[in-house]
Amino acid sequence: MSRHRHIGKARPRPDAADKAAGRTLYINDLVRPGMLHGKVKFSEHAHARIVRIDTSRAARLPGVRAVVTAYDTPEIRIGFLNDNFALKRGKVRQFRDEVAAVAAIDPDIAAEAVDLIDVEYEPLPGVFSLDEAMAEGAPLVHEMDARGNPLTTNELSLRYGHESGDLAVAERASAHVVEGRFSTQLMQQSCLGTAGCIAELDMSGNLSMVARTQIPFLAQRDFMRALEALGLPGRNCRVIVPTLGGAFGTGLDTHAYEYIAIVLAHRTNRPVKILYDREEEFANLSPRQSAEVEIAQGCDREGRLTFRRVRVRQDNGAYASWGATFPTVMLLPVTSLYRVPNVSFDARLVYTNNTYCQAMRGYGNPEVTWPIESNLDELAEAASIDPYELRMRNCNEPGETTPMGLQVTTCGLKECMEATAAKLDWGAERRARRGVGMASLIHVGGSGRIYKSDGGGVIMKFDDFGQINVSYGGVEMGQGLHSALSLTVAEALGVSPDKITINPTDTGTCPWDVGTHASRGAFIACNAALAAAEKARAQIFAAAEEVFPRLARQNLERYRTEHPDYRVPAFDVATAAKADRFELTDGQIVVSGAPDEPWLKVDLDRLLRAIHFRGSRGEVITTAAFYEPQSELPDWRKGVGNMSATYAYGAQGAEVEVDEETGEVRIVRMVAAHDVGKVLNPQTLAGQAYGGLAQGVGYALYEEVRTEQGRILNPSFTDYKIPTTHEMGFPVHLEFIETDDPAGPFGAKGVGEPGLVPTAPAIANAIYDAVGVRIRDLPITPEKVLRALDARRAVNARKQTSTP
Amino acid sequence: MTPFDYHRPETLAEAFRIAGAIPGARYVAGGTDMMVRIRSGRERPGALISLGRIDTLSRIELGSVTQIGARTTIGQVLEHPELTAAYPLLALAARPFASVQVRNLATVGGNVCNASPAADMAPVLLALDARVEIEGPQGTREVPLDAFFKGPGQTDLAPREVLTSIVLEPPRPEARSCFLRRSRVGMDIALTSVAVHFQLAGNRLTRPRVAAGAVAPCPLRLRAVENLLEGRAVDAALLDEAARLAEGEIAPITDIRASASYRRRLTSTLVRRAITAACEESR
Amino acid sequence: MNVECTLEVNGSSTTLQVAPSARLIDVLREDLGLTGTKEGCGNGECGSCTVLLDGRPVNACLLVALEVEGRAVTTIEGLLGPGGKLSHVQQAFVETGGIQCGFCTPGMIMSATALLEATPAPSDAEIRDALVGNLCRCTGYAQIIESVRAAAELIGPGSGGETPR
Repeated sequence: MSRHRHIGKARPRPDAADKAAGRTLYINDLVRPGMLHGKVKFSEHAHARIVRIDTSRAARLPGVRAVVTAYDTPEIRIGFLNDNFALKRGKVRQFRDEVAAVAAIDPDIAAEAVDLIDVEYEPLPGVFSLDEAMAEGAPLVHEMDARGNPLTTNELSLRYGHESGDLAVAERASAHVVEGRFSTQLMQQSCLGTAGCIAELDMSGNLSMVARTQIPFLAQRDFMRALEALGLPGRNCRVIVPTLGGAFGTGLDTHAYEYIAIVLAHRTNRPVKILYDREEEFANLSPRQSAEVEIAQGCDREGRLTFRRVRVRQDNGAYASWGATFPTVMLLPVTSLYRVPNVSFDARLVYTNNTYCQAMRGYGNPEVTWPIESNLDELAEAASIDPYELRMRNCNEPGETTPMGLQVTTCGLKECMEATAAKLDWGAERRARRGVGMASLIHVGGSGRIYKSDGGGVIMKFDDFGQINVSYGGVEMGQGLHSALSLTVAEALGVSPDKITINPTDTGTCPWDVGTHASRGAFIACNAALAAAEKARAQIFAAAEEVFPRLARQNLERYRTEHPDYRVPAFDVATAAKADRFELTDGQIVVSGAPDEPWLKVDLDRLLRAIHFRGSRGEVITTAAFYEPQSELPDWRKGVGNMSATYAYGAQGAEVEVDEETGEVRIVRMVAAHDVGKVLNPQTLAGQAYGGLAQGVGYALYEEVRTEQGRILNPSFTDYKIPTTHEMGFPVHLEFIETDDPAGPFGAKGVGEPGLVPTAPAIANAIYDAVGVRIRDLPITPEKVLRALDARRAVNARKQTSTP
Repeated sequence: MTPFDYHRPETLAEAFRIAGAIPGARYVAGGTDMMVRIRSGRERPGALISLGRIDTLSRIELGSVTQIGARTTIGQVLEHPELTAAYPLLALAARPFASVQVRNLATVGGNVCNASPAADMAPVLLALDARVEIEGPQGTREVPLDAFFKGPGQTDLAPREVLTSIVLEPPRPEARSCFLRRSRVGMDIALTSVAVHFQLAGNRLTRPRVAAGAVAPCPLRLRAVENLLEGRAVDAALLDEAARLAEGEIAPITDIRASASYRRRLTSTLVRRAITAACEESR
Repeated sequence: MNVECTLEVNGSSTTLQVAPSARLIDVLREDLGLTGTKEGCGNGECGSCTVLLDGRPVNACLLVALEVEGRAVTTIEGLLGPGGKLSHVQQAFVETGGIQCGFCTPGMIMSATALLEATPAPSDAEIRDALVGNLCRCTGYAQIIESVRAAAELIGPGSGGETPR
């Protein structure tokens, strides 16, 4: 029997019924009176000087209310290195650069007006690959940095690294060493709801911004800087997050189109909406960054890992957004997945004239777990050790401090791997062309500190009817945060989840939060909610010392009228009614140790009214709490620091069948075992695990943003293929390991991202097991598999002819 | 989206008249392709003339010949048990056709008239020796389907003419068939598709038809393969030869979906597998 | 130049002025306020705009509104029963966890409703075929497939399915 009332039990998410009824409003559905529609004119070159922009024809089109360019608006710098601009002046550095924008009375007129803007360019030679960008004398994407200092190279000044132990010694002492080069592709988040915003300024210049964001408070700060640039210093900005049709990392930065909406709203004094269509979403949002990785790992004769060396190069695209900080998360698996005493890591980022990149679920982790876990299977083969056995010999354990300085408090990796192997019938005989593979993961499980505060606050407001409104500054984007939050509050306060409303996220009403990333939403929100609930209980119980005895006696009087024969037990309510003896349960307040009599139970709403309506001593119950996890902001150059309050582990396994004539890979089944600390809501948790796995399958086999000279070739679902019901037709076995983490709310860890982290190497390892070919660049298309099979067949044929 | 005028004639004569009166007017059936092209700006029609109200275009008749009205949706093909029992190939091609939603809009005639190299119904119709019936202001004519395709997006249709129906020979006795299609994911444009249709006399193939899609400017019959198979019993050597000939007859391109060389390999593999599967198909 | 158009949507008939090129999705969302039908791609690829036309699922983004005159259109709003009660399919999606961000949900539910009307006890393969034109990025489809199975159970055998009005 669980000691919890709500935690750990499947319950539909609070927003499910409205979503099922089609009543939920997304940015697409929102309108404001007098609202104009904004549209952006994008660059037609990957790299070019802007010679001239003629907006006169667009401005004359009936229905157009404003046309703006960088040349007639104040400069608004954006991006965390300030290397980007809301509207571009001087030159364009990528196809999606915003050169102009219009606001018009309807979207069709706005689109027509954008087509009427003439831009004259002088094309410049561009750089479209790492090698091109890093070559001697390569054209520079940026001639100077944000401070105006000249730049001499396309390499970003950001550097990430880690050195621990003595690599050279360890490598020489290794019994087996395997090296390899791996690469990953650009991946598009592919939210079903496209991006958009509505900007609106009041008569004092205060901004209200409805935005698809995961970082409402950081966005607020960014937008206030834009107000300042527009000559509105000190004005307020309120960021309101509508229901999101997915986010997956797209909302981790502010975007040029949002600033453009602000500029247009300012210019026209009207609300302005910009809504991307699917093609704009694909072409003009920042995908997950690609990576080229060189890896070497070694082990001793017993299969104990001796060292790991990882070198990463990333094509950052034309501007720096959070894609440029992927190495901060790469450090986790590089230094800490399995016990490895000697680690060397270095990551370099390079500007190119390709699309600039951003965050997506997993944030750098899948990019290096892919080479680490693929290469580990190669090492196992070199050492003649079963890949599962090799992993178990190097498994992380609780109590460990890793080379990065991660303090492993709880760790269910061993159990995850055991479950994976068991469910896959590891070691069993299989049909020809079938094989199994597995891979593991470590990720932040107690938020991830990338900012000086990694906390979040909760405000809890009780009304006279026992309803509890909860405000949290993080973002529900479909993942189930509000479900976890409402169950937590219900559990902590002993009320039904039906009594709890989670307010829409709005910087005007919610306390500060750093943003919903790093799988931190439920971890932070629920911890803050537990603290706020504790304060509420204390406030209610203190007031109840006065009001409870009166309410209980009223109860008793009524009860005795209804039950004349009732014998009142000997119990002194007034003495027993002490704050430390009260309990909240089933929506009622009771006294612990009191006889189980109905009149000794007072409904919470009645109690709250009594606390409120008592003259000058009346009070309403509203509490707030801020939770700051115990973690350190790492030193990124050294790659050291305990960045999370706890760590999430997991393992996935795949059984695949490979068609040797076509190179097609069919997934027969998959297992996903995750150390989740504690299951809060099994239904939403399973949703996160299944959904993450499907994105992992897309990353492994199908998805890639293809570019040619900086132009995106497949900006639509016609040619950017995410898995459908057909691809996900195989059985998935989920296993949740509960390690009851002391830092987690009820013991829970963050679970949002891990689902896609080890999927690709698990599948690649299974392909190798099935047909003996190793694919090293994602996605693993049938064509790549067939090419590898052909190459192997050619080698075998040569071997046969050369053998006498 | 560029606005357009929309006409809904109830007779072909009226359709011809509108087509003659409005420069750049285009006929539209299900619209699943036309609407996408208009939205992307690839097509800017003077007006659209919907064929949706011309009832004669939606009939399916099985008789001395089989007539499938051009405006029959892919979904209606699947919901017609007599038709799919007589021509299992039609169901094999219709079942994986895009999605349920698209199948309920897209029409057999529209799929043929788009003349996409990857048109999903084309290979099976070619393998069934389909002819198309065309009606225009000057009258009616019939053309074999493989003479109808002139290039990507190009057909034998003259201005104002409408493809009214697909005409099939009665089902052949002892007919064997197979349709194989490959795409990257479930709902996707084909990388290649292969349809085979023949009769078995003992173990010998007669009147073999082999057609392929997405591997040449038009969906096409692989005549060298057909000639090879005529009167022969299937064995490994014959399959190898058929696969080799198939590679020589197609002219695939490299695009975002696959390379030409991969399409070539895949097509030859599918030719081999489709012939084998059709032979093994029990009736 | 707008033209008159009479549409039968969710059992009631409305006459309105529409642009000849207006798509069904535009008229539903903008003229009739039925915003439950979502536009996810505009190209018939994602299925978020799925509505029923004479009971069969179609992409409302690919249809010219004028084309559906005289035919019955059912949107997600039309599935609600008397008193705003969720239909069995909607209820099953809620209870089985088939919903995350919810953007694909109305389209999914429309496709599932049509499937169960035609095939009251579908196999998993039939469910997957019926939903292949409905993309979802959140769920990995597992709980969506479960939801459709649960809906089939809720409707039960011989009930004649879920007849959309």
